[in-house]
Amino acid sequence: MFQKHLSDTLAAYVDGQLPPAEAGAASAHVAECARCRATVDEYQSVAGMLRGLARVEAPASIWISIEQARPNATRHDVRRGRQIEARTLRAWALAAMVIMAIGAVALWQINRPGPYDVVRIDGGSSTGRVSIGEWIETDASSRTRIKIGVIGTVDIAPNTRMQLLAAQPNEHRLNLARGVISAQILAPPRLFFVETPSSTVVDLGCAYTMEVDEAGAGRLRVTSGWASLEWDQIESLVPAGASCPTRPGRGPGTPAFDDASARLQQALFDFDYSGGGRRAVDVVLAEARQRDTLTLWHLLSRVEPEQRSRIFDRIAALTPVPNGVTREQALALDPATLKLWREELAWTW
Amino acid sequence: MAPSNTVVISRKDQDVTPAVIDACRRGDRDAFRVLYEAYKDKVYSIALYFFHGDTAMAADVTQQVFLKLMGSMAQFRGDSAFSTWLYRFVVNACVDTTRSRSARADMTDPALLDTLPAADSLEDALANEHIAGSVRAAVSSLAPKLRIAILLRYFEDLSYAEMADVLQCSMGTVASRLSRGHEILARRLARIRNVAEKAR
Repeated sequence: MFQKHLSDTLAAYVDGQLPPAEAGAASAHVAECARCRATVDEYQSVAGMLRGLARVEAPASIWISIEQARPNATRHDVRRGRQIEARTLRAWALAAMVIMAIGAVALWQINRPGPYDVVRIDGGSSTGRVSIGEWIETDASSRTRIKIGVIGTVDIAPNTRMQLLAAQPNEHRLNLARGVISAQILAPPRLFFVETPSSTVVDLGCAYTMEVDEAGAGRLRVTSGWASLEWDQIESLVPAGASCPTRPGRGPGTPAFDDASARLQQALFDFDYSGGGRRAVDVVLAEARQRDTLTLWHLLSRVEPEQRSRIFDRIAALTPVPNGVTREQALALDPATLKLWREELAWTW
Repeated sequence: MAPSNTVVISRKDQDVTPAVIDACRRGDRDAFRVLYEAYKDKVYSIALYFFHGDTAMAADVTQQVFLKLMGSMAQFRGDSAFSTWLYRFVVNACVDTTRSRSARADMTDPALLDTLPAADSLEDALANEHIAGSVRAAVSSLAPKLRIAILLRYFEDLSYAEMADVLQCSMGTVASRLSRGHEILARRLARIRNVAEKAR
């Protein structure tokens, strides 16, 4: 009997891509033809192997090279630039008007209160905008980013719950109930705030990560610039490379550099939250290096008055006391003296 | 349950929505990052298998694809699915790179292929690695037109209609290329198929 073997249509038949009529005819033929049946088996087996090929994760370096290779101006911008070059002064005047208009729009944007844009950064879809009073909550495998007007961004890690409290020209304020956020802010100090259950993070022009656990305890870690943790008259100033804990009902602890010794960090925690007292202070004084004057400067106003002189002496031993700072004024916690001293010590932080 | 004024961010919705595409068209870089994250592994993997496991070449092609995409987003009209449009960039980048580096692209380096991960490598690692390595080598040995067709169909699971759109040819041509690809692969993988079938 004459049989027309399936050739070019065989793959389509195996893949289920033939129109119904052709598929029916092909099926009838395969049922009768041992040669085509064997080929179908072969193709199915190969298809199975091909489907087992693993997807490979693209290296992170590709995005970096895309960012670097990206032209600064789009073709449209370049074309527009060339046109402006060729035009007369009248065109320049027009361009100036356009720039002024753009400036006015930008100013309006800066002064415009929220909502903030929310953009997914984990490969999922965009979720639009978040308005005053709204919460953002990420699940265990989601990360997202919100734009803080024109002053920066906040990346929200998985399992984080956060609320937008204020979005005004002179105050951008979030409420971090739990989870982890990373903020990158380029703005004058004290414009961006994050409330947590145990203190407020105040941006002083910086990038930082703030984490808060289910119990409301938190830790601020600053990666560039400065931030402070503030609560009930307590203020902890945290520079880049340093961290500071915070606890509900107790507020911020004493900041320390992340590369400080483990003994110093443990003693500091004991002092702040476990009644470590003089013994803890002894360890901190013994372990302190020059840049740990950050910690010692904060301790000066937190230890019992009779211990202040020990702190003063240790700082003086690590870094010469600058002009304008006297022992008496420092031990009396004179605000201007402490500020001056901090500013001088900060050169080593 | 989250309060009604809570925007819950979940990875359940993995698709790139029209809103993201629109934002990309307006030049929103964050949206483009979302797009990149959604498709980078697909693009990189196709390029990697297309270029015989050459990671540098695959990274190059991936970069090319997304840079071209970035400059062309305004031209996307939504006449076809975004992924179909993207795959066209991938195919073009693979073909262009093959042409410009033909000597290198036609060379199969077994050492490079060995660096690719195998599927289910935790399970029967040695046997699976052997099979996966053979499959990768066999795919690499195909002519570029057959190779890209095989990858789009069995790696990306595109339908024949989608493939015809991406490859800008008829569905008949798609079927013909896949059949030819299959025929060659079946021959080259015959031994490994027998081993795998006996092991069952």
